[in-house]
Amino acid sequence: MERMSLEERIVRRAFLKKLGAASTAAMMTGEPQLFGATETSGEHVVENPEPRADACILIWLAGGMAAPETFDPKRYLPFEKGLPVEKILSTFPAIDTAVDGLKISEGLENVARVMDRATLVRSHVQADLGSILHSRHQYHWHTGYVPPVTVAAPHLGAWMAKVLGPRNPVIPPFINIGQRIEGVGEQEELKAFTTAGFFGSEFGPFNLPYPEDAVQAVRPPEGMEPGRFANRFRHYKKLVDRNPHREFLSDYQQESMLRSFDNAHRLLESEEKDAFDLELEPKEVREKYDTGRFGRGCLLARRLVESGARFIEVTTEYVPFLHWDTHENGHETTKRMKAEIDRPIAQLILDLEERGMLDRTLVIVASEFSRDMMIEGVPGSNARDQSRAKTETLQEMKHYGLHRHFTGGTSVVMFGGGMKKGHVYGATADERPLVTVENPVSISDLHATIYTAMGISPKLAYEIEKRPFYTTVDGKGQAVTDLFA
Amino acid sequence: MRNGTRVLALWAFSLTGLGAADGVDFSHDIVPILKTHCAECHLDDAKKGGFSMNTREDLLAGSENGAVLEPGKGTESFFLEVLTTDDDVIMMPPKGDRVPAEQVEKLRKWIDGGLAWEPGFAFGKAGWEPPLQPREVELPKAVVGREHPIDRLLDAYLAEHGQEPTGVVDDVTFIRRLHLDVIGLLPSPEETETFLADASPDKREELIDAVLARDIDYAEHWLTFWNDLLRNDYVGTGFIDGGRKQITDWLYRSLVDNKPYDQFVRELIAPTPDSEGFINGIKWRGNVNASQTREVQFAQNLGQVFLGINMKCASCHDSFIDRWKLEDAYSLAAVFAEEPLEIHRCDKGTGEMAKAAWIFPELGEIDAEAARPERLRQLAGLMTHQDNGRFTRTLANRVWHRFMGRGIVHPVDAMHTEPWSEDLLDWLAVDFAEQGYDLRKLMRRIVTSNAYQAPMAPTPDAADSEEYVYRGPIARRMTAEQFMDAVWKLTGTAPGTPTTDVLRMKIVPGQFEEIDVTGQWIWSNRAGTPAAGETVTLRKTISLERKPSRAFAVISADNEYTLFVNGRKLKDDANWMTAEAVDLGGVLKAGENEILIVARNAGSGPNAAGAFLEARLQFGESEERRIVTDSSWQWTARQPDRRGKFGRPVEDWQPVKEAPGPWAERLAPQVRAGLARAEGAGDRMVRASLVKSDLLMRSLGRPNREQVVTVRPEQLSTLQAIDLANGEILSALLQRGAERRLEEHAGATAGELIDSLFREALARPATEGEREILVELVGTEPAKQGVEDLLWSILMLPEFQLVR
Repeated sequence: MERMSLEERIVRRAFLKKLGAASTAAMMTGEPQLFGATETSGEHVVENPEPRADACILIWLAGGMAAPETFDPKRYLPFEKGLPVEKILSTFPAIDTAVDGLKISEGLENVARVMDRATLVRSHVQADLGSILHSRHQYHWHTGYVPPVTVAAPHLGAWMAKVLGPRNPVIPPFINIGQRIEGVGEQEELKAFTTAGFFGSEFGPFNLPYPEDAVQAVRPPEGMEPGRFANRFRHYKKLVDRNPHREFLSDYQQESMLRSFDNAHRLLESEEKDAFDLELEPKEVREKYDTGRFGRGCLLARRLVESGARFIEVTTEYVPFLHWDTHENGHETTKRMKAEIDRPIAQLILDLEERGMLDRTLVIVASEFSRDMMIEGVPGSNARDQSRAKTETLQEMKHYGLHRHFTGGTSVVMFGGGMKKGHVYGATADERPLVTVENPVSISDLHATIYTAMGISPKLAYEIEKRPFYTTVDGKGQAVTDLFA
Repeated sequence: MRNGTRVLALWAFSLTGLGAADGVDFSHDIVPILKTHCAECHLDDAKKGGFSMNTREDLLAGSENGAVLEPGKGTESFFLEVLTTDDDVIMMPPKGDRVPAEQVEKLRKWIDGGLAWEPGFAFGKAGWEPPLQPREVELPKAVVGREHPIDRLLDAYLAEHGQEPTGVVDDVTFIRRLHLDVIGLLPSPEETETFLADASPDKREELIDAVLARDIDYAEHWLTFWNDLLRNDYVGTGFIDGGRKQITDWLYRSLVDNKPYDQFVRELIAPTPDSEGFINGIKWRGNVNASQTREVQFAQNLGQVFLGINMKCASCHDSFIDRWKLEDAYSLAAVFAEEPLEIHRCDKGTGEMAKAAWIFPELGEIDAEAARPERLRQLAGLMTHQDNGRFTRTLANRVWHRFMGRGIVHPVDAMHTEPWSEDLLDWLAVDFAEQGYDLRKLMRRIVTSNAYQAPMAPTPDAADSEEYVYRGPIARRMTAEQFMDAVWKLTGTAPGTPTTDVLRMKIVPGQFEEIDVTGQWIWSNRAGTPAAGETVTLRKTISLERKPSRAFAVISADNEYTLFVNGRKLKDDANWMTAEAVDLGGVLKAGENEILIVARNAGSGPNAAGAFLEARLQFGESEERRIVTDSSWQWTARQPDRRGKFGRPVEDWQPVKEAPGPWAERLAPQVRAGLARAEGAGDRMVRASLVKSDLLMRSLGRPNREQVVTVRPEQLSTLQAIDLANGEILSALLQRGAERRLEEHAGATAGELIDSLFREALARPATEGEREILVELVGTEPAKQGVEDLLWSILMLPEFQLVR
């Protein structure tokens, strides 16, 4: 038999793989199988819905975005020394938006102008997990499962990567922008859900903690010229072809390894890698976005979606006690955070719209829970009060703000991706406790909505340890169809 | 073709939905109803009136009188009619309680929704039931002198399955494979050369024995496997708030000393303070699902790790995939529970209390009324009972999987699956028990066989038949730790200190006799025998002219202690029968230094108490200083905070006195070994298993050890390949490695550099063809960049990354 080149062998193998139903080799290595797919007894795989969107951008306002200070403004009282704190619901006045009768919080003027492209859910309810630990709630929100879970649960993005695959084979299907997972508090807990879990690292996040350095991640290593990088790989491939043991090595493993190197180099030597380079964006566009790391992250997300990314998360970054995690001085901090997100989010929506991509791109703005001036957790919760500015009446500015973690109801904003425009769904009470009073949407149901929009059934399951593991817990998430256009 | 899922959906034959239809879930809603009301007559072997509900097909087939229902038509079905009718001729169930209305409603929705059924699920017994008892296997006759028991079994197996007998690999392949499998390290070129030059016919057995005897190397390799399995790590969720405890010291010593596996497991189940971290699991902050409390984690982890039983299903409801029931999981959990434990079904309390029991009563019972330590002791005894064949099979299968690439039962955690060779598994398990549960003897059995030494069989192709047929060992990917150890070795870039401060030595009585131990055991100078619970803070301040170049201490206390040096907590331990080695190098400084030992006595009445510390400080080559517990220390009844600081200054420091007790003699070997560290004993290349995970290791598949992990990913993913191609961690190591290699081989030609690297990495010289390509890459005048690229190219070879 004539010796085939590396490329030929990879092509042949890819072809053979396509022919097989569930590859024995994959089963051998324990790769999870679609639940029901390996049965031959007339069983079935769940049918996925027709997708409304092809790409998804999750804007993650980590640390607990206070809904009364952003998308669900309540009675506002300005700072006044001696004011009883129990009277305060919001510390910002409400402003008008592009939608008649819809008001959001001051500081979000740019977002207000694009709310006519948005569906606003004001009744998102998170489980109260007792002790408030942000990373546990974030785990729940990102995987749909309350930790601990007996198997490593995949992130929302990993599900999309696994089920839908990449839109462009060169661009990693799950990209995570703005969150460091080394050198920050609760890093071990962050790692536990920033992962593809039992799907394996092929479907895991491509982490880009600093958007301005993203291009480093797709460049040759520091100090290596692209020419040298390509030359190294060319020699490597020749070396593999000349390897005296090649014929004796396990075909399957050897070729899956080589295929991965090929994929990696295809990205690192591709034109699409330019999408990672913010410097290539015109200066005036960069300025529109550049409110800081988060703003630059939004611009990067836009570029990557344009190049064919499937799922991108952009975050203001979770660092305990920083950013949205306001334990004191909440008013001032929230003002700063709103300034950071207002322009970039609005610009992202306008840019996607201008490029004709908004209809097929689902943009979600969410956070692990809301905040309140008085209540820790939900009414009746035994969660420990974690405010660092405890007081009966306002004495100084640091007392002014929502310093408790509130799980009774919060807001989620969704743009594009087949969602209604200028639509408001659900409501919270007008007086404390600001709990959801209309159309509660759980994490399971919100995920079901997102998955359904992306063309994934909320009942889809993969088999792990002989059990089905569903996109939403027990396959029971129900899409909120009222949100779909 | 829109995506993979839908492609799969096309292969499906039925359009029936899976799982939840209209809020009714087959597993959680329907199965319990059928089991409660219909089981007696229509499930398992019962088929009254010719009607069985064991499978969806059975249900659709109906009774001897024809169909009883049609998917989509609940209301008009006979099936529901008999449940709701008042006509006692056809009423079902004929006696006993009626099916409650809301359950009938669920059944109606279920039928209306298309009769969704869990794929593969069937009521009744599985076809193959794993035996409990060990089984003696008669060995087939040897073929052409292949006498090894494993070969006798496998040669017969291969003949039966129409397969060719396997051959044996060459010496180079063998030595590399053996080293990586047993101790996780590449053989050095010297080791390879010596072995190749050896003309002895028994040289493979000799090499096997020599490698297995490398206690430290063996322990540091298998530490990875056991850390995964026992969920032990150095950092991670739960450590920060005391919700989790390491077992590193205990595990390390157990591996170095080759503790028999039955004893090893007994010490995990009925633990000492050093090994209790495993059964205690992780205590999560806040509310957790009832199936994730520490008690239920205990049941799940014991089942999975030691028996290959998946109790995860059964911790919420009776399992649908095997015979384990909710009650089984909770009985096991109740052995561990300190408080009465309520059984929860799917996170809802049932009002029923769990009773401690063992899941194989054939082997004996647990006294549910006994105190917790006694219950755990009984459980430990039953788990390791000589008649518990599942215990030995599970372990033998895991070890076989590591050495041969695939379990005899596969996947390795599904021990209810039929093995591809029951004889082989049973023989290995019995042999393992007969050899005293000696893990290394089990490994020796495997690696001395021709089967282990055979060339790698190809990984089965998709086109092959579904049933696995053994054809030989399968190449395995290096673990993240094996890969890092190899890279560090080849580049000389191992980190300076491990994350875990474990004593990297075998502790042997009579060793280091020349080391003179002068520390005394001390306690407060109160009169009389120390009370139970008495806690004292012992202090020594020392002034140093300069920072020591090396400083090591050994410490112990009866019963427990926490050590602070200069306000930093360095160690704590609650086992008075062990002494711990501590590296003080990082914390001692020029000027005043304060050492605090917070020691606590335990017990139920007055009993002997004492604390001991001895340290060796070195300043350069010649100067040494000691710090030892003696009468110069002081004590107070006050205790410092978590940072080793007192809120207000202590004004009542009092002199200590020497404490009488049996400790000095008992702990002498450990103390001496710990002090020998100061002389350099135990210094060796830091290995990845001792270091906390980093981005590169995580990328290469080192797991987050919140869950039990029993297998590592076998394939390299694209994201990993990107990390290997341009990741910062690896490229920094390669840059330093290139410099080092150029220094060490100053003046070497490209060809020489290539050859030395090949010998170290692949245990063979480069071929002419390979050398030609690589000389072109490195250039005729070797420089740093070329050597970096050379290192990368070799490290990325499948031949390098696979244990083959």
